[in-house]
Amino acid sequence: MLLAVVVLGLAWALIAPNYPSFVFPTPADVWASFTRALERGVWPEQVLATLGHLGSAFAIVLVVGLPLGILIGRSIIAEDLSRVVLVFFQTVPTVVLIALALAIYGISDESVIGVTVAGSVTYFLLNVIQGTRSIDRDLVDMARAYEASETTIMRSVVLPSVIPYFLAGARITLGVAWQITLFSEYLMGSQGIGFNVNTSIKLLDTATVFMWGLSVVALTLVVEYGLFRPVERRLTRHIRRA
Amino acid sequence: MADHSVEAPLLTFDRVNKSYGRRADEPVLVDINLEVGRGELVAIIGPSGCGKSTLLNLMAGLTDVTSGSVRIADSGIRSAYVFQNPRLLPWRNVQANVEFSLEQVSMSGKDVRERATQALELVHLGQHRHRYPHELSGGMQQRAALARGLALDPGLLLLDEPFGSLDALTRGYLQEELLGIVRRFRTTTLLVTHDIDEALLLADRVAVMSSRPARIRRVFTLPFGTDRTSDQVIAHPDFLPLRTEIRELLRPEVEATDPGSASDT
Repeated sequence: MLLAVVVLGLAWALIAPNYPSFVFPTPADVWASFTRALERGVWPEQVLATLGHLGSAFAIVLVVGLPLGILIGRSIIAEDLSRVVLVFFQTVPTVVLIALALAIYGISDESVIGVTVAGSVTYFLLNVIQGTRSIDRDLVDMARAYEASETTIMRSVVLPSVIPYFLAGARITLGVAWQITLFSEYLMGSQGIGFNVNTSIKLLDTATVFMWGLSVVALTLVVEYGLFRPVERRLTRHIRRA
Repeated sequence: MADHSVEAPLLTFDRVNKSYGRRADEPVLVDINLEVGRGELVAIIGPSGCGKSTLLNLMAGLTDVTSGSVRIADSGIRSAYVFQNPRLLPWRNVQANVEFSLEQVSMSGKDVRERATQALELVHLGQHRHRYPHELSGGMQQRAALARGLALDPGLLLLDEPFGSLDALTRGYLQEELLGIVRRFRTTTLLVTHDIDEALLLADRVAVMSSRPARIRRVFTLPFGTDRTSDQVIAHPDFLPLRTEIRELLRPEVEATDPGSASDT
């Protein structure tokens, strides 16, 4: 992993000087762009804006999607109705969602968050629905036989059963949400990384575009290893095999 | 049809019929009449798949009768159900699994922990209480499931072939153990089994069922007394004749059952 990064970095440093900076900037150009953005406070500000969009959308998806997915998963009638809605959201192109959001909210944070939610919620819902379907009926019967309330069954049997699917769904959703958030910011944002990529490329400042690209890669890794993996380990302790 | 009544029964199956299928056109249980007295252990024996487990599910409220009624005289009674498979929650360790049954009754956290620990000692799982189900053998898992039921100090114990998945040695010890517990606490028990020896060893009465759709063919009252060990039962002069009689009663029923459909409902 580390070796691959070093090799790629060296190759970049060797090849880039043969091209003009607006086509293929050197590592030094990109680094300069990064330090400039840091000094002016642009980097933390814009990163926070994007994380704000992404975090809000992701939180809405989790908070709405988990109960909704369980509800749909546990009832057969709701599934038939909701399948139409799910298929709709999954097949509507993001571009159309963006156009609609522009018509309704205009250029705003709400538009970015709304499109990200609409574009990514299905991935999460489908996983939660599948998880709810796969709950072991024997365990539910056991809980009923011991006179557990419906609330207890939900908390002690249903939710823990759904956790692996919840995590898988959350991971896919987060990946999709990253892309949609940046794309939405590019097309209709007033701030954020996607918005900055848009303004930079209009000025042919390719080094800054590279800088934001690498920043997103770094942020994704931080979220994955700093947040996602520890949470996952904690929630799936019992699954670890000796 | 004989009326298998006892004085002041705790449990009553009164003309119970149970059918499955969308139009209730697959009869499983037909005209079941059985009463179980307080402190009594009644074994229900029958061929695999005959509907024995459905009797327990009816008593536990997991399914409803198609006609007739199932009654429990004490409404506030705590009942424990030990299934054929352990049905432990995989995300809870053994101790927490046993505590699950206790969490459903109002009890202080300290009492819950103490009683769960005691129940685990009773089934010799004390040392393993911090392990997760997947780290235990099948036999240990089933003992944990038994502890989950016994921890409740139940007034009614529903046992569905609880020792079926255990090796012969473990089964023997647990049967003795259970016999001791049930006798000591006078727990009313309904035991579903397909093991004639197990029924004879543990029960006060044995109800023999036919193949599906199941009826009660005969109810035997056993002469072995209440304080007994397995050795005493086996040495009793009535043991072998009873064993033979029940076996002969079951033979045509077992032969009528498709050997391929071994799953119980």
